[in-house]
Amino acid sequence: METKHALPIQRSGPRQISSVGASASLSAAFPIPSTVLEETYPSFSEPQQVSLERELMQRPPAVVSSLSSHSGAVGHIFSSSSGFSTDLHFSSVQQQLEKHTTQSPFISQSSSSGKSVKLPHSVDSQLLQSTASSHFNRESNESWCTDTLPDFLDFPMSTTIQSSQLYGSNSSGITIPHEDLGKGNDWQDWADQLITDNDALTADWSGLLADASVAEPEPKHSQQCTSVSNQQPHIPQQVPSTPGEICTGGAQSSSNAAPGKQRMRWTPELHETFVEAVNKLGGSERATPKGVLKLMKVEGLTIYHVKSHLQKYRTARYKPETTEESSERKPPSIEDFSSLDLKTGIEITEALRLQMEVQKRLHEQLEIQRNLQLRIEEQGKYLQMMFEKQCKSGTDLLKGASSSSENALKELKDSSAVEAENKVSEGEPAKRSVETSQMAGEKQKAPEGVPSSPPTKRKKVDEEVPLSS
Amino acid sequence: MKFGKRLKQQMDQSLGDWRDKFLSYKELKKMVNLISSKGALEYDAQFLNLLDHEIDKFNAFFIEQEEDFIIRHKELQERISQVIHKWGPQPSHMEYKEEMTNIRKQIVNFHGEMVLLINYSNINYTGLGKIVKKYEKRTGGVLRVHFIERVWEQPFFTTDLISKLVKDCETTIETVLPPSTATGIFHEEEAAKAIFRNSVAALLSMQEMRRGSSTYSQFSLPPLNLPDFELIQSLQLISPIQIHHV
Repeated sequence: METKHALPIQRSGPRQISSVGASASLSAAFPIPSTVLEETYPSFSEPQQVSLERELMQRPPAVVSSLSSHSGAVGHIFSSSSGFSTDLHFSSVQQQLEKHTTQSPFISQSSSSGKSVKLPHSVDSQLLQSTASSHFNRESNESWCTDTLPDFLDFPMSTTIQSSQLYGSNSSGITIPHEDLGKGNDWQDWADQLITDNDALTADWSGLLADASVAEPEPKHSQQCTSVSNQQPHIPQQVPSTPGEICTGGAQSSSNAAPGKQRMRWTPELHETFVEAVNKLGGSERATPKGVLKLMKVEGLTIYHVKSHLQKYRTARYKPETTEESSERKPPSIEDFSSLDLKTGIEITEALRLQMEVQKRLHEQLEIQRNLQLRIEEQGKYLQMMFEKQCKSGTDLLKGASSSSENALKELKDSSAVEAENKVSEGEPAKRSVETSQMAGEKQKAPEGVPSSPPTKRKKVDEEVPLSS
Repeated sequence: MKFGKRLKQQMDQSLGDWRDKFLSYKELKKMVNLISSKGALEYDAQFLNLLDHEIDKFNAFFIEQEEDFIIRHKELQERISQVIHKWGPQPSHMEYKEEMTNIRKQIVNFHGEMVLLINYSNINYTGLGKIVKKYEKRTGGVLRVHFIERVWEQPFFTTDLISKLVKDCETTIETVLPPSTATGIFHEEEAAKAIFRNSVAALLSMQEMRRGSSTYSQFSLPPLNLPDFELIQSLQLISPIQIHHV
């Protein structure tokens, strides 16, 4: 793949690339992923570059086809730098790739947990800021640039503090070619996309190949612009049984900007441990954060976490204690108090019940609504997939399938609505009357734009119409 | 009624220090309108930035509250067991009754606050979904699906723990409430009123939001049919009269 046409990137001739320029530009292109290969970080700037080259080499067909303007760039760089370092470091590259792939579960976890895009204010290194601004300018050129950009910035956030050191060491190498890069930033973007693809959780090589051949900007959804900030620990959907989780990722971009302060998500189990430790140390007043921290022996817990938690704990204990004491001190004048007490007692209790009922209802509905929202999203995705499949196999089939799919969705929703109603009526106190529900039903406006009216369908019991494939 | 209005209503009715923790829906909507269909990219970046910032805001607030709830929950359990242990054998004792009344109030209020936090989570999630849908409509991007998936992973969306605590409260209250009698009126406590009012508002607004609208589509939630809709609505009317100050 040797093309000799002069690249916009390199103003100088090809030969000069194979000297410092190549390594510099490569390091400019790949500063981020080298941070991911953490254990190679200490002194291996060259092998990192080379391993990344190798990754590129594995992918040229895919990427080149989607970005024809850069195909020359790829070939050129490779050819020029291949003599430079590849041969020498081939074996080490092999090892590193293996290391990298075995590392990837860990990395991908931290990267998934540590994604954040805070373009203006949270970026520490100048590199990112300068490339960020240049990226903004370039975004109009390629649609996928917008996809690439945030994830490019993601990585420093999601990796550990070591990354900042790497930037420091490479900054000189980075800034120089950066200025030279006219259109070269595109090359950078493209390279970044590869790298982020490689390191993303859903590193889907075959997917990329398939999608790239279609030249869609869409394939890597994982690189959408609003990769949402998630500096907090990655919490699975179920209640975690492990005692608390702490963000292993970037501490740099916490919104409070307190050094070393990472957001901590407490769990009941962790709190139990905390309380035990506090009690051992003689109570909330006497216990010190340091002592508690030591006793708890929880990995990753910092003294800041303990400190703030202890403060909250003390506040929580102090308030009820004062109210308790004051109520004990009230001298009960028995007779008056008891008759009055009885009346207000009942009223209070009843009011509490009512309040409780409303709250319960709200909670129920929130759960149902949330489940519905999730299911609708899932269903939507499924429909989309079906739709795309049908598109490929012809328009007639398309019409048939999508309308039945839509019906299926309505069935799903209606059955969920039936579910919802049943659930509500089960939890219902005796107050409910049939009239009320009928009136409520009438008050509902019939939703517009829906061909079949839901109220009639509501009578149906759970029915899932199987989708025709 | 439009989501923006409903959101504002809820915010107004919400507990004081929560008010500025909700989604800045109006602001985001303005931004979306600024974005031209070609994609004026300065606004794009700004928009996405703001989204991220909002999510940060939610996460921070949510995690703080959650931590508080965990602590309170434990304290409540402790207190209950203490009181029962101390006066359990003689439940007619004056102090026991007082304590218990206090505890019941605390449980119910605690329960209410947690449910409101879940509501907070939900309404912000809904708002985010809507705003990103609008954005996608303007720019024709394919942001939404993946954005939503990202949101699912966020701490503020993972409300399972809070739900569990809520259910816990519900069982606890059953054990400490005396058997029920007939009617009742509203009690005076300020916090309880605020929570109560907010819950009622939340329920009603949920129902409102899910009514048919011009943009009803396959992605919309089905209408919410509250069986005692009338009762709940009347609660909303009555409670402001009873309250002396907000």
